[in-house]
Amino acid sequence: MLVSSNSYMYEMIRSELTDIVGSEFVCTHEADKFGHSIDYYWIPEMWHDRGMETPRPDFVISPANAQEVSKVIKLANHYHIPVVPWGGGSGSQGGALPIFGGIIMDMKRMNKLIRIDRESLTVTCQAGIIAQHLEWSCNKEGFSTMHLPASISCATIGGFLAHRGTGVLSTKYGKIEDMVLSLEVVTPTGEIIRTLPVPRHASGPDLTLLFTGSEGTLGIITEATLKLHPQPEAREFRAYIFKDFHTAMSAGAELMRSRLQPCAIRLYDETETITHVRKVFNMELAQGSYLVFGFDGRKDITACQMKYAREIMEDKYQGQDLGSKGGDLWWENKYKFFYPGFMFHLPQAFGTLDTVATFDKIEAVYWAMKNVVTENFPQARFIGHFSHWYEWGCMLYARFIFEPQDVPKDPREAVALYNRVWNMAIRAAIANGGVINEHHGVGIKLGHLMKELYGPAMPVLEGIKKQLDPNNIMNPGKMGFKGV
Amino acid sequence: MHIDKYTDAILNCRFCFMCRHLSGIGNVAFTESDTPRVRASLLYGVTTGRIQLDNPDVIACLYRHDLSGACRRNCVKHFDEIGLNLAARADIVASGCAPASIQALADSLMQTARWTVDGSGEVLYFVDLYTQETGTVAAAFAKIMAKAKVSYQTVSGGCIGKGLKTLGYLPEAAAAAKQFAAVVEKSGAKTVVVSNPAAYDALVNDFPALGIKLAATVMHTSEYILSLALPWQNPQEVYYLESDFLRNYNSDLPAPHSLLQAVGAKNRPFGTNDEESYTCGEGAVLLPRIDASLVEKLAQYIEARADAPSTDRILVASPYTKLMLGKYTSLHVQTLEEFVAEAI
Ligand SMILES: Cc1cc2nc3c(=O)[nH]c(=O)nc-3n(C[C@H](O)[C@H](O)[C@H](O)COP(=O)(O)OP(=O)(O)OC[C@H]3O[C@@H](n4cnc5c(N)ncnc54)[C@H](O)[C@@H]3O)c2cc1C
Ligand code: SF4
Repeated sequence: MLVSSNSYMYEMIRSELTDIVGSEFVCTHEADKFGHSIDYYWIPEMWHDRGMETPRPDFVISPANAQEVSKVIKLANHYHIPVVPWGGGSGSQGGALPIFGGIIMDMKRMNKLIRIDRESLTVTCQAGIIAQHLEWSCNKEGFSTMHLPASISCATIGGFLAHRGTGVLSTKYGKIEDMVLSLEVVTPTGEIIRTLPVPRHASGPDLTLLFTGSEGTLGIITEATLKLHPQPEAREFRAYIFKDFHTAMSAGAELMRSRLQPCAIRLYDETETITHVRKVFNMELAQGSYLVFGFDGRKDITACQMKYAREIMEDKYQGQDLGSKGGDLWWENKYKFFYPGFMFHLPQAFGTLDTVATFDKIEAVYWAMKNVVTENFPQARFIGHFSHWYEWGCMLYARFIFEPQDVPKDPREAVALYNRVWNMAIRAAIANGGVINEHHGVGIKLGHLMKELYGPAMPVLEGIKKQLDPNNIMNPGKMGFKGV
Repeated sequence: MHIDKYTDAILNCRFCFMCRHLSGIGNVAFTESDTPRVRASLLYGVTTGRIQLDNPDVIACLYRHDLSGACRRNCVKHFDEIGLNLAARADIVASGCAPASIQALADSLMQTARWTVDGSGEVLYFVDLYTQETGTVAAAFAKIMAKAKVSYQTVSGGCIGKGLKTLGYLPEAAAAAKQFAAVVEKSGAKTVVVSNPAAYDALVNDFPALGIKLAATVMHTSEYILSLALPWQNPQEVYYLESDFLRNYNSDLPAPHSLLQAVGAKNRPFGTNDEESYTCGEGAVLLPRIDASLVEKLAQYIEARADAPSTDRILVASPYTKLMLGKYTSLHVQTLEEFVAEAI
């Protein structure tokens, strides 16, 4: 922000903002500004835990529609004020933090379900709707978005689109970028645009995908049309324990290569099977690697797919069958892992090193990350599971954890340690065929690694940013783009 | 400080997002600060000295909470973010930082308590201020009792401590509770029946926590009417909106549902889910006098979720919720007593 909050110019800007969205929706309260200074990124949480000041926005604005968003963006361009979109603040990469102050554009007031199209099976909604609220409304009409992430209760549809998020049923129904048909976006200069109405076309490059994953740096998503699905007649799960992680991975990959259509597969390495699966399910499990999968849809087809999948698990890879109960437990407790009491929390230091690679590389990526973490940081634990599976590969959801006694007391030293782990682990992933992230995005956490990941392609991204956002007002300093 | 007793809620809620979809005020005001995460984070800042509890913005934030208990109920470990908020209010009051409007409200509650007991019988029906304000709920209860041929006493005249407790005035709340307990004792009643779930919660939870043991059994009207095992039927299609106090504070008290079943009502699910609070801020007891605009928003949020707002028959356990929905929406709302009495 270029003007001090003690200056009359600050009041002038406040008046202009009030003129656009109404006084109730221009917030400068300490409590709300504080609320927007911490998201789900470990560093701001740790900063607050240590009694340090977290960067606050100057204004928190809650627009009602794209027109108001557009007017605020035009105003911000006029005064060169940073604008940071905020959905639910549940992002783990610091993407929504007002690191340079300015305006937080809190999207949650834009929470309308606009239309359910029963013929095409689509739903159109404003981008600030909390995913659970949207899902509930669709359920009431007999449908589901099938977007069921662990943060369904707190994150917005716009936030998921901005981070290319994913849910537990991604293996069949896809990530959010597979679910979206089209978007309404307010560009960084304030134009309200719509991307093409359908995602499959040969009418030029896909603007929908340009904005999906752009983390608020290329504009503000104000409306989205997503696929809907009828609620399935049946959904069945089954779980197995394999003697080791390699065998479990081979079985999972084989299931995907068989082109059966599981709705979910999740594989926990030996360590996470002990530390997490057992704890959350409160269940005795044999030593080894836990793998769960499921099918849904018509009852007869589900049963038939399950039969073939069992053959792969049991006959070919000698998995120990935990039955449907072992699988149902996972489904019933799928969000429980994320509640306090089961989740890591400060003063521990922890991070989710998620990446994705093809099947021929994913184990190498896993071992490279695990080795680099455990060898360089012997005090850290490393656990991992593989949550989202594709025809060609799968996603690694690895975590490192430092117990409180191993985390430096000085917050600056804690940041340095934290970043050393991230840099080493992510570089190891890239070197072995992985990428810096699969569904949590980049934010400030991984921005500095974007050049390493993209190499000579990075200037293409930077060129797009510059063209769309000549004054660099949209979420500056994120995703590897320059700050103010 | 009172909040020191809630360290586990502070430490667990401060960075947790898992119940934000149930944050009543957050959902209607679209604010980040009206969530258990931010309130707990602010209070963590208070414990470290980084944030001051005399900050007017922090105080305003803490008094906006609708105290529905929906988040605590949803929480896998049931961390007591409600207890934490009430403790923070008590600390604000104890440190002399209560806003003038809150102080005035508390004063008015302390001054109005003038208990009157009428009638005779072993049942004492407590007509609290909200029940009284409806003008119809106590009459419905009277009609049921007349038909059941049970004579009873009524007691009315003030706050039994619940309102004062939610404002953070703990010693004053305790004094009010003791005064009421003495009135009950003097009445000789064996059973105290209340329509307002807030009063029910005060009598079954707050009183024992204060060391006050009533000689009488406490029953919500739904429990009491059910115990009468009357033959009336009212087999209509209704939408019963759960009470914060009966569901979220008292482990899903089964009586309202059992009563509906007993009278043959066909209860349809309201809204899109059974997790949110649809009470207009019942848990906060005095929210209309703290910020009426929030109550109006909560009421409109409920109306927007009705299947057919102009024709749906909405039932509530709480006279408070009936009053607020009546004031701010066009919904047709009855309490359980009224619904049962209608069939007589
Ligand atoms: C307990 C927990 C569990 C989680 N589990 C999952 C999971 O299962 N799957 C998953 O994918 N993620 C998960 N996450 C991470 C998080 O929920 C996602 O990253 C989600 O996409 C963030 O959405 P949000 O609305 O909270 O966005 P925010 O955190 O507010 O913002 C994220 C980014 O998007 C930008 N943004 C927000 N709204 C818009 C908009 N309308 N237009 C343009 N840019 C916008 C912001 O500027 C920021 O850069 C989890 C988080 C938590 C706290
Ligand atoms: S009450 Fe439970 S779910 Fe809600 S914020 Fe606290 S710890 Fe999280």
